[in-house]
Amino acid sequence: MIVNILVGIGIALFGFALQTSIGGINRKIVGRLQKRHGPRWYQEFIDIFKLLSKRGISHGWIYDFGVIMALGGIIATAMFMPLTVDIVAFKQFDNFFIFVYLLAVGMLGMAMSASGSGNPWASIGVMRALTTMLAYEVPFLIVALTIINVSDSSSLTAIQAFQQTAGNNWFIIALPLGGLVGVLSLMGMLGKKPFETYIAPAEIASGPMVEYGGKQLGMLFILHEISVFIEVSLFVHLFLGGASNIFIFLIKYFTVYTVVNLISNVNGRFKIDQVVKFFYKWPLLLAIIQAFIAIYLGWVI
Amino acid sequence: MANIEYLLLFLVGSAVISYFLTRLNSFIGSIFTIFATMFVFVSLAAYGFNMNLDTTVSLLPWFSFSQTYLGFFFVIIIAFIYLMVSFFHPYFLDKYPYKNSYNLLFLLSLAGIIGAFYTDHFLQLFFFFEMIIWTTMFLIPQGKSREAAVSYFGFSLTGSVALLIGIFVIYQNVGRFDIQAGLAGISGTTSVFVFVLFMIAALAKLGTFPLHIWLPLAHGNAPHPFSPVLSGALVKLGAFIGILALIKINPIGPVIGAIDLALGQYIIAFIGSLSIVFGTLMAIKEDDAKKLLAYSSMSHGGYILVAFSALNGFAFAGGLYHILAHALASAGAFMAIAAVARATGTTKMKELGGMIHKMPITYLAYLIAIISMAGIPPMGGFISKWLIFQAVIDRGMILIAVAVFFGSVGSFLYVFRPLAALFLGQEFREYKHVKEAPLLMLIPTFIIMGLNIYTGVIPKQIIDFINNIIGENTAFAPVVATTFTVTATYGTLNAGLIALIFGVGVAIAFIIFILMKKSRKVELMDTYTAANFVHDEHLLHYSVDFYAPLERMYEKQSHWMKKFYDALAHKVKEVGKLAKYLFMSNNIGVTLIWILVIIVLLIGVVAL
Repeated sequence: MIVNILVGIGIALFGFALQTSIGGINRKIVGRLQKRHGPRWYQEFIDIFKLLSKRGISHGWIYDFGVIMALGGIIATAMFMPLTVDIVAFKQFDNFFIFVYLLAVGMLGMAMSASGSGNPWASIGVMRALTTMLAYEVPFLIVALTIINVSDSSSLTAIQAFQQTAGNNWFIIALPLGGLVGVLSLMGMLGKKPFETYIAPAEIASGPMVEYGGKQLGMLFILHEISVFIEVSLFVHLFLGGASNIFIFLIKYFTVYTVVNLISNVNGRFKIDQVVKFFYKWPLLLAIIQAFIAIYLGWVI
Repeated sequence: MANIEYLLLFLVGSAVISYFLTRLNSFIGSIFTIFATMFVFVSLAAYGFNMNLDTTVSLLPWFSFSQTYLGFFFVIIIAFIYLMVSFFHPYFLDKYPYKNSYNLLFLLSLAGIIGAFYTDHFLQLFFFFEMIIWTTMFLIPQGKSREAAVSYFGFSLTGSVALLIGIFVIYQNVGRFDIQAGLAGISGTTSVFVFVLFMIAALAKLGTFPLHIWLPLAHGNAPHPFSPVLSGALVKLGAFIGILALIKINPIGPVIGAIDLALGQYIIAFIGSLSIVFGTLMAIKEDDAKKLLAYSSMSHGGYILVAFSALNGFAFAGGLYHILAHALASAGAFMAIAAVARATGTTKMKELGGMIHKMPITYLAYLIAIISMAGIPPMGGFISKWLIFQAVIDRGMILIAVAVFFGSVGSFLYVFRPLAALFLGQEFREYKHVKEAPLLMLIPTFIIMGLNIYTGVIPKQIIDFINNIIGENTAFAPVVATTFTVTATYGTLNAGLIALIFGVGVAIAFIIFILMKKSRKVELMDTYTAANFVHDEHLLHYSVDFYAPLERMYEKQSHWMKKFYDALAHKVKEVGKLAKYLFMSNNIGVTLIWILVIIVLLIGVVAL
């Protein structure tokens, strides 16, 4: 058990290091896209460690407790995440719903802390984040339902193994409509344009993070990196056949994150009600159609 | 050995005693109520789990009792909620206009509950149901509004009448009032007819769409300590009737091939999913914390219906588990709101803020309750929702799944609102004097907190008991569970492991936090305001129309059902007016017409 927990902590740490590096590389890629040099690839590490070492402010115990609960929840979620079919901390307990709902503990902690800061801008940011969540989760969960129903398991390693079995395609090919919905939902989850309304960094000096600084902000940065790791890995395992070894995982991970980031950078931004309307129109419809033809008609490519 | 008959008589006796004691001194009367409820709960818990209660009847003629695992499951949950709530009575009773009768009615309604779940006779079931409705109907108007009680009674009456007709139809066909024999004895169209009637009763009691209007009215306006009972305990009567209809009667009808489910069950599941969606949307919009939780009860009622409609072992287990988890979660949340309302005198979210600094334990109780309510691990609600998800995926009920997932994510939105508006944010000046709830009120708060976590970490005992119910009432396969894990079609959930890992994660985060430089403490008003000087806390508290962009999208549609029932009520009133005009009018002309009609009739009869 101790070994498993250590493996889990290792995966969480690896996820943090991986996403922070790839995030840095992507800043450079986006920089080149915009004819800038872009920061060094390890700039994000510098930011985080600088923030952690600074002396910040605290708005009371819930402000601190929320941050701890949020980071704790996210670390716990990452500890369940399989990297490949073999590298997983808790075999057969890597249930899909854990990732959706344990992630929510982290989000709840962050929302609590932000609202506890007493700044109304933070509460507005939380409102937008939760509304966005209501938008992208439902189509995503319907596609996940289809995948679980087709592969006959809700364990992520089993879903990976199912796709790697000879004769089965990756689910992005086997369920093309569902794959499209998956990409859109992933962009919502990652808060990429056009669904980045709740952060909207260039427009308003607000959002959930408005009051943070110092170690609290540093911890929230770590939280953000690990949650991106969880979401992208989830996509890799559900739609791209997972990975049989760590290099394939790295390639797939890097590709997914970079592609999503590139799409994001040529888009504008939706208003919050447009986000909701969008997700409940096309992605939900496509997800339902996909579920119908895959489950009732059995048409899986 | 505890005897059910004696327990009932004990409750009726203590109800009368508590009436006089409360008249003397409301505190003493309430303490007596606590002990009476505790005695009943302990007797039930000590003997009931192994079906060791004595069911013989010697003093109450015409009554007969039998014990079932299913009945006991409901009785023990409801009796527990009654016990927990009774701890609140000493601090609330003095505010109510008819405080003498409060404890009396409270204990009598508990007697009704015990009778209803232990009887084996349909007419007695109806009698006890009416006893519960009539006692609680007089409890509700002690709160804010009489209208709420009328609405509660009206909808309950619809349910009761449907139940009574169903019972008579069964009697007509089987010739007996015995519950088990009656349910087993009907078939064909009769069973469809009884199924529909029983489901109307179940929907009305459970407060699900389309019979949900009473729920927010009654929950929102009931006395604060009674709302947890309404939501955590009494609506579960509907679930019980629902089980009788969906599982026991289970009429044979057309089967939907794609999902291998009877049409009747699918329609109920669909009504359940409508209930989930409506409840969630209305809860997101609501400004009164208690009404918000009432709408969430409506949505959870939908989950329970979906679970029992799916007709397999883990769906059934998930439904029962959800009844337990929701009873604990909603009781915990309502009790926390009650504690806040006692201290501040309001449950309106726009009037409250920053209570966390004064009432941290109440806040924690609310937090744990809503984590369970939203189905987030490591609380009980996660296990039950997980089981329900498995069933929905297994059946491939796609449209139902949309609602189920929508309700699940939507619940994050609405449970967060009271958390942010009541407890977090700016601390208002007018509530500076507020103190944490007294110790006696914190005892049940702690117990419920503990149980919310227990149900989410160690599912073994509960699942084992549910397996007894499955064996007793159905032919479904039992659910496999070890101390910490539950297994369903699509894998195994290790609840204990999730809790452990969550603990590890929080520990790591805490270490990071503690190792870094200590933060400087600043006031709540000392926030970034884009260079504006804001001196009023209220202006820095964002709580009105929290989800405004989302609410705007369905603002027009949200009044449809209320308008429908208003129109219906209007029509009923018009019929009533006509009847009044015809039969009870003071108008001399109408009387003359009636006299003429009678004379003509008499002449006609005589002439024939």
